[in-house]
Amino acid sequence: MSHNKKWIVLFLLPAIILFSFVYAISLIVLIGTSFTDWSIGSSIHFVGIKNYIDLLRTPDFIKSILNTLIWIVLQSTIHIGIGVIFALILARKKWYFKMARTAFMIPNIISSAALGMLFLCVFNPQFGAVNNLIRLFGVKNFSHNWFMDPRTSFITVTLTWLPFAAVVAILILAEMASVDEGIYEAAKVDGASEFQTNIYVTLPMMKNIIGTATVLAATSMLQKLDIIMITTSGGPGNRTLNMPMFIYKTALSQNNFSLANTAGVYLIALGLISVVLINKIYGMGKSDV
Amino acid sequence: MKKIVGKLIAASLIASTAMFTVAGCGKGAEPKTEGASAETAATDTAKHTEADTASGEKVKIYYPTYRVGAHASAAAEKEILDEFNKQFGDKIELVVEELPSDQAYVEKMKVLAASNDLPDIVEGKNGIIDLAIQNGQAADLLSYVEKDSAYKAEIGEDAIKASMRDGKLYNIPYASQLIGYFYNKDLFANAGIQPAKTWDEFMSNCEKLKAKGIVPLALMTGENAWTTNLILASIIGTDGEEGNKFMNTKNSDSYENSSVIKGLTMIQKMLKEYTTSDAIGAIYANAANNFLQENTAIIANGPWMTPDFSDPEKSKPGLDKKVGVALFPEDGIVSQFEVGFMVCTKDQAKMDAALTFLKFRTGAYAQKVMLEKGGALPLTANIEMSEEYKSENPLIGDLIKLGGAAKYKYSNLDNTAFSSVIDTFAVNYPELALGSLTPEDMAKKMTEAAAKNK
Repeated sequence: MSHNKKWIVLFLLPAIILFSFVYAISLIVLIGTSFTDWSIGSSIHFVGIKNYIDLLRTPDFIKSILNTLIWIVLQSTIHIGIGVIFALILARKKWYFKMARTAFMIPNIISSAALGMLFLCVFNPQFGAVNNLIRLFGVKNFSHNWFMDPRTSFITVTLTWLPFAAVVAILILAEMASVDEGIYEAAKVDGASEFQTNIYVTLPMMKNIIGTATVLAATSMLQKLDIIMITTSGGPGNRTLNMPMFIYKTALSQNNFSLANTAGVYLIALGLISVVLINKIYGMGKSDV
Repeated sequence: MKKIVGKLIAASLIASTAMFTVAGCGKGAEPKTEGASAETAATDTAKHTEADTASGEKVKIYYPTYRVGAHASAAAEKEILDEFNKQFGDKIELVVEELPSDQAYVEKMKVLAASNDLPDIVEGKNGIIDLAIQNGQAADLLSYVEKDSAYKAEIGEDAIKASMRDGKLYNIPYASQLIGYFYNKDLFANAGIQPAKTWDEFMSNCEKLKAKGIVPLALMTGENAWTTNLILASIIGTDGEEGNKFMNTKNSDSYENSSVIKGLTMIQKMLKEYTTSDAIGAIYANAANNFLQENTAIIANGPWMTPDFSDPEKSKPGLDKKVGVALFPEDGIVSQFEVGFMVCTKDQAKMDAALTFLKFRTGAYAQKVMLEKGGALPLTANIEMSEEYKSENPLIGDLIKLGGAAKYKYSNLDNTAFSSVIDTFAVNYPELALGSLTPEDMAKKMTEAAAKNK
């Protein structure tokens, strides 16, 4: 082994050890127990792929996959779109730049649990700001249970995270700051408008960072639990049930750890597929410049 | 090895779902003496305490609690823990971990139970006791209690009998529960009604209140649907002998019976017509606030709520003078013992210290503090209320009197149903209220949820 390779191995070692103990072993145990029948206090029995088949026959699990997929798509498109537009606006560095950036960031720095409570108040049928606003515009005695009415529960839960794309905006802003000013000057000399510069110059150069932000946004939907738990618990019925919520209920309410771990394997698989697809779509890692 | 595998498995679940950020309870690695029992611990208590004191080392025991912050029993808990530290602080170091809510407590204990890592003293509520027994951490306390006649008298035979499982005593209750419903006398007078004697009269009262523009019931369907489920349990528990037997049966595997369907049918009507517009999805704080602000005439809840009636930060001024307490129709009352505490250690020195704490936490002194500061009823009549307390809290005295006159006594659903069944209420009550789920469908869903429990 060359001297250089030894250093590479030495520097990689802490990360490898950390990964092995925190993730790799956990992952092996997770996958291993997904083929068993196991709950707290019971002995473990091998059951083959029974859990995998049972889950696919469980309506709540199918609904949780569908909801998670919809949220991944929404987060990868609308959420990213909002972040990109906001970044392009902030990049103009007008007088409102700092204030707008800070205000946009606030929902991202509040804990999800607190944010959940906040939205419960905002959408409260009696004293919530949304209903009060509608009453203010003349709809007397208006009262709508936004989170618990089956017609609005999904969209209301979605609104608790979809518009808040400050992280996406900040990532893109950071990348934009590294672009050579000469490129913009050249576009200006060629007579490009601000809109044309954004579409034909800025955005193509932001492809990789938008792809990265999309991966982050999409995979965040695979972890969404606390805000759903606080606002709807996955209800009414199973209308806002996602995979993490399903896993939580299966493990901690039903004490069925092996089935929860099987759902965890499906969740990881969905995450990997999402990441690969997004990488393909954005052609990440390849440079057009 | 088995323990290590168990811990790894539990850790994998957490890692895979990224659900929690659960810090360990701080218990850490410790030598464990397999096979240690409460009996041997009781025998050796004096020996160990002397040895520990002689060596100058305190025995450290871990005690998580959710009675903090704005919790109704936070003041009582603080007083009890302060007094314990005053009396035993030179021998026992009580490490208290504060958790922000009942739910956070239950979730954390369940995760720790999965890795056989429960703290030394744990409250067994919401199915935690089942997990602690299944994983072998809960110690049998019967011989310890039997040997200490004074302590046994403080707990009382009834509480011990109610807590026995297969001839073993894994938990010691700290309080008893008597739950009727509170009503606003002024609003009742306005509608010209009295507490109902039958469920038909109860519904008729609701109609009369509604006709007067008063919202009758403070209900909620979020969390564990507490105030709503107390009424449901009461409809079932007062539905003849069959219904009463059902509400006193633990872990039923079927809810498809006439009493439950009758209860769900009435709850459906209550959710549709007799409650606030925010009841669907509401948490306890919403329901309580609606009663405390006189937006509703009735709330089903336990005596721990009574201090709130005179709290100017929570209630309208003078509410405490307007509130009365009543039995549920058909002379029913929720009557049970709190699950209470378990000892979950096998290390001899820790066991001794934990038993000392358990005795203190569930004994006469703590019961009195819990009554006077937290509104929790004591386990036996031996704990007398001071005259000052009686005059300041007439509702508690009234409730105890009513409890003695009740025809039907039963547990609540939290105490009898699997946690998987309790989970169904938050997601299915909204559908029931909207009519997209019939009472029969909901009973079926509860049965299915019970079948999922492992």
